[in-house]
Order: sequence, then C-alpha cells, then structure tokens
Amino acid sequence: MNSVAKDEQRGDARLMSDAGDRQLAAWEIASIVSSVLIAEWIAASVAGGSRLVVAIPITLALAFMIVSHRLRHETLRDLGFRFDNFLQAVLLLLLPMVLVAVVCLVLGRWFGGQTNFQAWHAGTPIIGQLALGFGWGLAQQYVLQGFINRRAQLVLGKGWLSVLLVAAVFSALHLPNVWLVVATFTGGVIWAVVYQRAPNLFVLAVSHSLMTWVIVSTLPPSALHHLRIGLKYFG
Amino acid sequence: MDTRSKSKLGHLLIAKSMAEALLIAAVSVGFYFVTTNPYLRGVLDYADNQTVAGWAVDEGQPAARIEVQLYIDGIFVGDQAAAEFRPDLRAAKRAEDDWHGFVFRIPPIPPGEHEARVYATHVSGAGARRTMQLIGKPLRFRIGGSDKGGAPR
Repeated sequence: MNSVAKDEQRGDARLMSDAGDRQLAAWEIASIVSSVLIAEWIAASVAGGSRLVVAIPITLALAFMIVSHRLRHETLRDLGFRFDNFLQAVLLLLLPMVLVAVVCLVLGRWFGGQTNFQAWHAGTPIIGQLALGFGWGLAQQYVLQGFINRRAQLVLGKGWLSVLLVAAVFSALHLPNVWLVVATFTGGVIWAVVYQRAPNLFVLAVSHSLMTWVIVSTLPPSALHHLRIGLKYFG
Repeated sequence: MDTRSKSKLGHLLIAKSMAEALLIAAVSVGFYFVTTNPYLRGVLDYADNQTVAGWAVDEGQPAARIEVQLYIDGIFVGDQAAAEFRPDLRAAKRAEDDWHGFVFRIPPIPPGEHEARVYATHVSGAGARRTMQLIGKPLRFRIGGSDKGGAPR
C-alpha cells in the first residue's frame, strides 16, 4: 500500500463515528449554516451593510471550525490542503467542468445573452479576476468541503446521501437567486463527489473560480441577478 | 473522539448559539430604533367629509415639525408638516410650543364609508430609508347621507 493510500485510510478513520458523534456533527453543520444565513440575511441587510456586524457571525463560524478541527484531531492534509492528489482531483473534475461549460454556453445562447469573458470584474485583467475568484473559491470550498462535507460523512457516511446534503446546503445558502441555486446545487454535487474521492481544496478552488467565470461570462446578468443572494437579492 | 472533546465541542456549540442569538436580538432592536421613532406621540382627532385633523409631536425633538401623510382607503391623499396652531397641546404638557397640529382637506371622493389613516414619516440610513408610523387610530367617516364625523375605532 503506498503512502497516499495509507494517508487516505488514516483520514477516513477520523471520519468514523458513533451515535453521539453523529449528532454533534449534524449540530456542527447546522451551526455553520446558521452563521452564514445570519450574515447574509440579517446582518448584511438589516444592519445597513455594516461590515463589522457581518464579520461577527463569520468570525464566530471560522473560530468554531478551527477549534472543531483541533478537537477532532484533523490535520490540514485531512482537510484537503495538499498537493499529492492534485492530478487525481484534476482528472476527476475535468470532464464535468467541460460539460458544465458547454451547457452554460448553450444556455447563454438560448437566453440571447452575449458571451463576454471580461464581465465578471469589469476593468480587472482576466488573470486578476481568476486570482480573486480562486481566493474566494478556496474560502467557500474549505467551508463546504473541508468542514461540511467531512461532518456530513460523519452523519450519513461516504456516498450519495452526504453528497446531496452538501449540495443542498450549498444551494440553500444561495437562496433566493433561483438560477444560482440550480448552478450551486450542480456544482455542489460535482465538487462533493470529487472531494470524497480526492480531497484537494486547491483544485476545487481553481474549479470554483473557473466555473464562476464561465457562468458570469455566458449567462445574461438579468438571469443571474448579479450573483446577489439573501435579502440583498431584493435590493 | 474522546468524551472530553465531545463535551468541549457541545459547550462550544451552545456558546456560539447564544452569541448568535444575542447578535440577532441586538441587530433587531437596533433596527427597530433606527427605522422607527420611539418618541413619536400623536392622535388622529377627527375625520369627516371635509377635513381630517389631529396632532403629532416628536418628544425627542420637541421643536421639530413632523411630516405627516394622509391615506384614505389606503390611497395617498397628501402630506404636510404638522405645524398648525394647537395651544391645547402645550396646556396639556404634550408639547413645548403651540404648533404641532395638522388639518387635511378631503378631496372629492365617492359617496359611502371611508377610512382615514395618518402616518408620520421617519428618515433613516442617511436618507436611504423612509418609514411610516401610524398616528393614533384609523378613523372611519361617511360621505353623503348624514356625513357624520368619525371617532376612533
């Protein structure tokens, strides 16, 4: 057995759970989801866009996740901050990403939108747009996969149930933007499946950045509602 | 995961939930105070086929004149500053001067029973928001027939 396989086994062992552990893991998922919902539905809108108020639930969630990793003896490598399975994750993601990109191009044409690969952050070079997207994607994928997916595996085990839970959580956090909900559910399923097979957050962040760029560039802004979510969607 | 770690995690989850509940409570109360005026006092005294009258005072800023808006059957009719002569308010120690009344002239409206509501407007968020607070209670009045003035419901 090679070192990568042994390491996978050790990581999987940390995902074994008893009934009490499963309940705790479910509560952990609910707690992080509630923090994000508070930030996007209550703090961001009711507090008049005050960054300090938005930062409170996000900081609480981040601090909680770090302590939870420590208490569960999870290493950065377990979470997916690693390079040894980089190629494996890339190969797993390649086909679904190409398919999604083609679907977006077709949908964009169908909606009558014009493909514009400078539309995401107008005025910023494409490489800058992708770099910004990578940072934001890494943060989202860490929460979604490094935390929620791992806890979902504790609750429901590895496989489709936990994958669907992760995708459902990810899409619910993008309500009430219907098209974004559909897109994030699709992305959530793909990324959760790949993470369970090859946990690599860097590859997922690159994929997240590229897919967001493709979606924003191909689908008309009126359909995506400028990627607005939460109460800001209505503003 | 050992029992002690589980216990720590449970306590942490409870603490986080409490902190978030306090945050939501603070944001909600703050939002209420920003978007409404807790010092607003006022009464809708009278409504008939010609006029709707009452008074409104901001006890937090007694010298200020409050902007009021009249709605009949839910439709905007007009707005004005509550700055009509009402010496009874100062006599009753509700205001520091005599100029906090309002009188709206009723425009031509179809015969039948109608409802008048007067709202005070409140600006917040550096003008980004404008909210309305009902003054007193809505009054019902009749156009045509006996043309009786309304009394609070």
